[in-house]
Amino acid sequence: MKKFLTAIFSIASTTCALAQETPSSPLEFSGSVDTYYKYDFAKRSNIPTSFVSDHNSVSLGMIDLALKKKTGKASFVGEISFGPRGQTQSIPDAAANGSSFHIQNLYINYDFTDNFSMTAGYMGTFIGYEVISPVGNFNYSTSYLFTNGPFQNAGIKATYKFSDKVSLMAGLFNDWNLYSATRGVSSIGGQLMVSPVEGWTAYLNVLSGADPYGYGTIEDLTTSYQISKAFKLGLNAANYDMADDAGGYAGVALYPQVAVADAVTIGLRGEYFKYKDVGAVKGTSYTGVTLTANIKSGGLTFIPEVRLDHNGDKPFVNKTGGVAPNAGQFSLAAVYAF
Amino acid sequence: MPYKTILFFLLIALKVSAQQKQFSVDDNGKFIYYEVVEKAAGKDSLMLRAKAFVESYNKTLKRQNSTDSSITAKGVMVIDKTILVASHPTGEVSFTLNCEARDKKYRFWLTDFEYIPYGRDRYSNYVPTTKIATPLEKTPGKLSAGEWKDIVEAAYSKTVNFAERLKKALSSYQTEKRQIKGETISTKKW
Repeated sequence: MKKFLTAIFSIASTTCALAQETPSSPLEFSGSVDTYYKYDFAKRSNIPTSFVSDHNSVSLGMIDLALKKKTGKASFVGEISFGPRGQTQSIPDAAANGSSFHIQNLYINYDFTDNFSMTAGYMGTFIGYEVISPVGNFNYSTSYLFTNGPFQNAGIKATYKFSDKVSLMAGLFNDWNLYSATRGVSSIGGQLMVSPVEGWTAYLNVLSGADPYGYGTIEDLTTSYQISKAFKLGLNAANYDMADDAGGYAGVALYPQVAVADAVTIGLRGEYFKYKDVGAVKGTSYTGVTLTANIKSGGLTFIPEVRLDHNGDKPFVNKTGGVAPNAGQFSLAAVYAF
Repeated sequence: MPYKTILFFLLIALKVSAQQKQFSVDDNGKFIYYEVVEKAAGKDSLMLRAKAFVESYNKTLKRQNSTDSSITAKGVMVIDKTILVASHPTGEVSFTLNCEARDKKYRFWLTDFEYIPYGRDRYSNYVPTTKIATPLEKTPGKLSAGEWKDIVEAAYSKTVNFAERLKKALSSYQTEKRQIKGETISTKKW
């Protein structure tokens, strides 16, 4: 026992000495504000994906405020948002009747070495291509894959960087999208990052355990490749199986983007998404095509977008309120990042 | 009237001073920061100090090649945006440092400035948004002209600070100083 404590003390002393050599960073402060106008061709809210919900209204997204500080090998991030996108339309806050705020990130990280770090707290999920913050997405509306997957995970994770081209993360997490666990630390997750060539990064993700619907396992591939200065291609594919054949989903989304001018990029999102069959109930499937432009000037990004979705089972409505296989919308969004 | 004249010349002087705070351009039209320093140490000492300086930046400055009278290194400096007391990184500028020594003098220049913008990732960390860098000399479009001007000015300011640190390092024997700092002093004997 004495030897063990001595060893721990020695490691702690060494770490402390190394930490003293690493200077602290200034306090980082950043954030964003976003607002939008949407016109749905059915003259009512129709497409059932997250955010951009209001028809024929100049509506709010969210104000997002983030702090980060690193001292030696330890760092923290605290990020909080207010507004529909960050409050009523985000899952943890919806449970609190949408009257509160939404923590986007709240975690502490410690770099044991240049290659090994551990992180604990509440973090943006490692699953999927799209995120809650509009600053992190090219398209302003979101995909079915994003809407149905996890938004955030609370937990503890360890990341080991083998090189700039390969890293591995493994962690234990609460059930999805909750500040505190309802069924204990019940999920295990992992992420393998590979970067086979310069500009191409791929993440292979697995998360298995408790989720809002029960228990299940999600496998996810998220990758993007900056093929040339003007052309970038992204891909997200995911498969989610719930325990006891209780359903799930599978889908794939492709994100080609072309920079047509110094400050203007045009991108497409093409998505196929299918809910799995549950017993005799057949799962329904969606296809969606979204054409988006990003026009940047300093911190401001102006995002015009047209979106057309299709589902043969006619889950949408038309102008008269009847069922329809197609839905469409046009939106204009302004996102300012600082 | 004399006050107006003084004010006029003051504004001209300020404008000229502001204009000087930017990169010069080399024969190939690339931005360059160039200095010759006279009344320096011997060639061998200068090279030892230059190599020690490069190695002291082990994460942000990598030696490319060196001879007994020159050293070349590739470096990166992070550009920040400051809001009151807080700031966050907005991108990084890579550069090439060349340093050549002769007896009692040396010269150095920084060139090949290229910019990679940072974006905020899902964990609220600022990371490079692309691997493809843009030369700092490029003429930006109208929409991003203001932002690009700020980036070039910040890169110049960082370059001047870097040059000052290099000149300080080459003016004194850092290795000797480090040895003195680590010396053990005993109070048991006089």
